[in-house]
Amino acid sequence: MKDVVVEVDSLVKVYGALKAVDGVSFEVFEGEVFAFLGPNGAGKTTTVEILECLRPLSAGSAKVFGYDVARGGDVKEIKRRIGVLPQEFSALDKLSVKENIDLIGSMYRKKLDTLEVIRMLDLQDKTNERFENLSGGLKQRVGVAAALVSDPELVFLDEPTTGLDPKARREVWEVIENMQKLGKTVFLTTHYMEEAQVLADRIAIINKGKIATIGSPQELIAMHGGLKTLIIRNGGKKLADALEERYGSTTLGHGEDVFVKVDNVKEMWQVLSELTSMNVERDVEVKTPTIDDVFLKITGGRITEEGELK
Amino acid sequence: MKFVTILKAVTKNWIRSRAGLFFSILFPILLLLVFGAIFGGQGGTSASRIFVQNLDRNPDGTQTSLSTGFIQALNSTKILAIVDVPTDADAKSYARDQLGPLGGNLRILQVAKRFQDDLVNGTLKVQVGISYNTLNMTYQMFAPYLNDTQKAAYQQGLQALQQLNDTLPRGRTSLTLMLDASDQSAQIIKNIVLNVAGAFNYQLIGAQNVIDYKEEPVTSTSHTGVDYYIPGITAAFIMTNGLIGLTSNTTEFKRRGIIKRLSITPLTKTDWIVGNVLSQTVLNIILALIMIAFGWIVFNVRIIPDAYTLTLIFLGSVMFSGMGMILSGLVKDVEAASAIGNAIAFPMMFLSGTYFPLEFMPSYLQTVATRCP
Repeated sequence: MKDVVVEVDSLVKVYGALKAVDGVSFEVFEGEVFAFLGPNGAGKTTTVEILECLRPLSAGSAKVFGYDVARGGDVKEIKRRIGVLPQEFSALDKLSVKENIDLIGSMYRKKLDTLEVIRMLDLQDKTNERFENLSGGLKQRVGVAAALVSDPELVFLDEPTTGLDPKARREVWEVIENMQKLGKTVFLTTHYMEEAQVLADRIAIINKGKIATIGSPQELIAMHGGLKTLIIRNGGKKLADALEERYGSTTLGHGEDVFVKVDNVKEMWQVLSELTSMNVERDVEVKTPTIDDVFLKITGGRITEEGELK
Repeated sequence: MKFVTILKAVTKNWIRSRAGLFFSILFPILLLLVFGAIFGGQGGTSASRIFVQNLDRNPDGTQTSLSTGFIQALNSTKILAIVDVPTDADAKSYARDQLGPLGGNLRILQVAKRFQDDLVNGTLKVQVGISYNTLNMTYQMFAPYLNDTQKAAYQQGLQALQQLNDTLPRGRTSLTLMLDASDQSAQIIKNIVLNVAGAFNYQLIGAQNVIDYKEEPVTSTSHTGVDYYIPGITAAFIMTNGLIGLTSNTTEFKRRGIIKRLSITPLTKTDWIVGNVLSQTVLNIILALIMIAFGWIVFNVRIIPDAYTLTLIFLGSVMFSGMGMILSGLVKDVEAASAIGNAIAFPMMFLSGTYFPLEFMPSYLQTVATRCP
């Protein structure tokens, strides 16, 4: 059994009449990538900032490495052992990449060699480049470097890929995967389903300040994702009716595509054999349920690219 | 010692910023150069142009000797550049034409037709009046000692002087000065014309100065305007750098999440504040040294700061930067920080006595000024 790094119990954060975090409880284990998935305003950043000792909690308890975030004496120890990439990371514009990472590193007693961190993040070409001249993706990488320079045991990454283009997003994912290989525990907040599914060992779906479900991506899909779907492109109504009569759970979508829900691999092969015997020569795809489907099932909505729930 | 790291980082960031460098170092230097050029007493000043129409002519059309003498006296002041207006021209239209489409200040002095006659008659009237008064005064004093013949001679003399005085005309409006109310030099020009006219009057009646006037400097060394502007502008910018520059900069750091990022590290608030305040202090000392160097090189003004001055620069920097840090903690956006910084700094700057003497201000403002840092 791995050690518990973060322990949150019935955490509440209230802003006036608004309950931003409403009785949240979860644990994060050593060495795992834990994703906090939810739309904007769900309470992700508030929870993370309480764990980073940036905001006081209203009720409940939160511990990091066994230290209480609400106890003044513990805060120093927590700050010493965590690394943080805040939402929309920014640094001193006129300082170079190295100078900015050095600045953060100099705040810690224990720190890695700045050039080594720069190499780790593949930023060697930009070592002496001013921060203001970097692209969005490179700035995020500098942020990750700043989070790692103190050689933290736990790294908080708050929406690390928001606003980045797909290429830059993949680059950051690679960095996160490498962090796990280095043995770091990663606490990732995101509103991107794919990001959580690709990177996380466990996902907590949070909506309206409450955790809706928690588990590994596979567990969540198995529990809430529903059945696999065979998609027969341009199958037409006649084929849809025939398959519905034989197997049930068949629908006709836009563009004459036929969707057949199958319970297991055996049933999938049966449908495919039927198509062969019917001499149906159409493109066939198998769609496996994703976290997106899990989220839809649990919350009844989807998250847009901008992070809004609709 | 984390404040030293903050000091180095924010100073480097500030110095590399063109806008920051311009407003904190280059702008005060430009201001010094402008003020120094205007009030430094170097390079001379141009004379004020005035249009003069001399209507006082001899029968042959030439200018009378006294009106010519008066205009020459005006010219000899070197403060007025005289433009002659022909006698037959309309003075205002002529001056406007000469000034051209871009305009300029309309200043016209008209010497009236009977200038010389009025001056001669006026002088005679004054001289006769003085003679009459002198004779009358001696008569009043010595009458008890005079016999009847002497008294009759005195009275005859007094009567003759009275009769002569009555024949002399009173006309005294020989000069007309036309000035634009919006002309900032109007008062100076009016005073010059009046002084020259007064001197002319005294010369003609043969009056002698009975009050002697001389100037003596109260300081051991002579000072030019630049001597006063270097410390004044330096002090003003130490204040604005702290209250406006630092406030805006720190608020911008806050808006962009830089302070939040640093606050997640073991950096303390005290280290952050001390680092920023010291950074401003270093910049202000650099500013003071550059201002002194410019004063020395450009205006040949040698100011050597003593320990007291350096202590004041240090304390001023610490105080205004401290105020800036407090302000940036209270406001959320850069525009508000800049506006509030300006609202505090500018009244204090004008109440400091750097640009306007405190004596010109109402007493309640002087009280406020003495309590401002």
